Amino acid sequence: MLRPGDVFPNFDLPAVTDGRIGRVTLSGMSSELVVLFFYPRDFSFICPTEVTGFSKAMAQFSAEKTAVLGVSIDSVDSHRRWAVELGGVAFPLLADEGGKLARACGVFDDKEQVAMRATFIFDQKRIVIFSEATPINVGRSVSETLRIVHAYRSGRLCPADWAPGGEFGPDGGKF
Amino acid sequence: MQDGVLTTAGVLAGLSGAVSSHSQVLLAALASTAAGALSMGAGAYLGTNAETEVLRSELDRARQEIQQQPYVAQEALLAQLEKEGLSREAGYRVVRLLSTSTKTLVTTAEQKVFGLTGSMLGNAALDGVIMGIAFALGALVPLVPYMLISAARPALFAALGTTAVTLFTVGYFQGWLARRPRLSSGLRFLAIAMGAAAAGYLIGLAISPMGGTAG
Repeated sequence: MLRPGDVFPNFDLPAVTDGRIGRVTLSGMSSELVVLFFYPRDFSFICPTEVTGFSKAMAQFSAEKTAVLGVSIDSVDSHRRWAVELGGVAFPLLADEGGKLARACGVFDDKEQVAMRATFIFDQKRIVIFSEATPINVGRSVSETLRIVHAYRSGRLCPADWAPGGEFGPDGGKF
Repeated sequence: MQDGVLTTAGVLAGLSGAVSSHSQVLLAALASTAAGALSMGAGAYLGTNAETEVLRSELDRARQEIQQQPYVAQEALLAQLEKEGLSREAGYRVVRLLSTSTKTLVTTAEQKVFGLTGSMLGNAALDGVIMGIAFALGALVPLVPYMLISAARPALFAALGTTAVTLFTVGYFQGWLARRPRLSSGLRFLAIAMGAAAAGYLIGLAISPMGGTAG
């Protein structure tokens, strides 16, 4: 699995954005940070809470100049219907049919033949600054992902459980 | 019931080969019937009781799991419906619909995911009584003609005759229910039963010197 410091692999995948089918490429991303989260399947009962969670927090991610991308092995048609089912999704859903991108990131579950629940945050140079994976039955915390983005974008030394408004560590200091 | 018919006919045939006294054979057959009915009843009671206890425990565990982690149960049910041929999207809609009623979701998940249903819970006492009575009723088929005829050999033939007719009828009926050739089904039952009775008679003949009596 990709770790902080690794280079995020290039991708060019079909995607659904605001109900329209198109393509999303890594080279086309212009935000300072990208949160890319893999989820196992469309039309499931744990995934929607994550997708809708990220969607509801989109304004906060955008305020931090951070794009959000959701990826699963389902087709764009499935993504389109899934987005309708969820009442609209505020970010692109990418179709990684066959799991090529998931495999490149080291998060393809060969037993279940789906992507794991994994989240990556990478910067404009494609350097991974955060990665995590949770068991397939455990939904992720959107607020924690947002907290990581806030903390990284602060550019400061952030202590454990730091949240916006909290104290930073000393400039030039180390923990 | 078949057990009662076959076991008793076997006892009558086997003992007739070993002893020549009508009353001794009848007494032994009656004792065997009583023992058989009680043991079959007790066995059925114990078996159903054990099965019910285990099943009840599994049902309770499954229900607790579903109620504590409904998402996991929903996903498991969705996966099962996909395995059974429903598309992912259709399965999702079905599970969503089922989820509007907790009871329905729980019952369906129990059946499809855990393979358990409340209807599998048996009544041990009832099973025991029914099994015992069924055995005893079956035993009457060869016993009654044997009791009514006082001479040993004719009584045995009469007992085997009623046994043969009964088992042929059971086999015939089974063939009718299963939509298979009824005659061959009846004959198959008859052949097995008569084979068992003949074997019992021959074994009785073979061991009769041990008892000091001749058949």
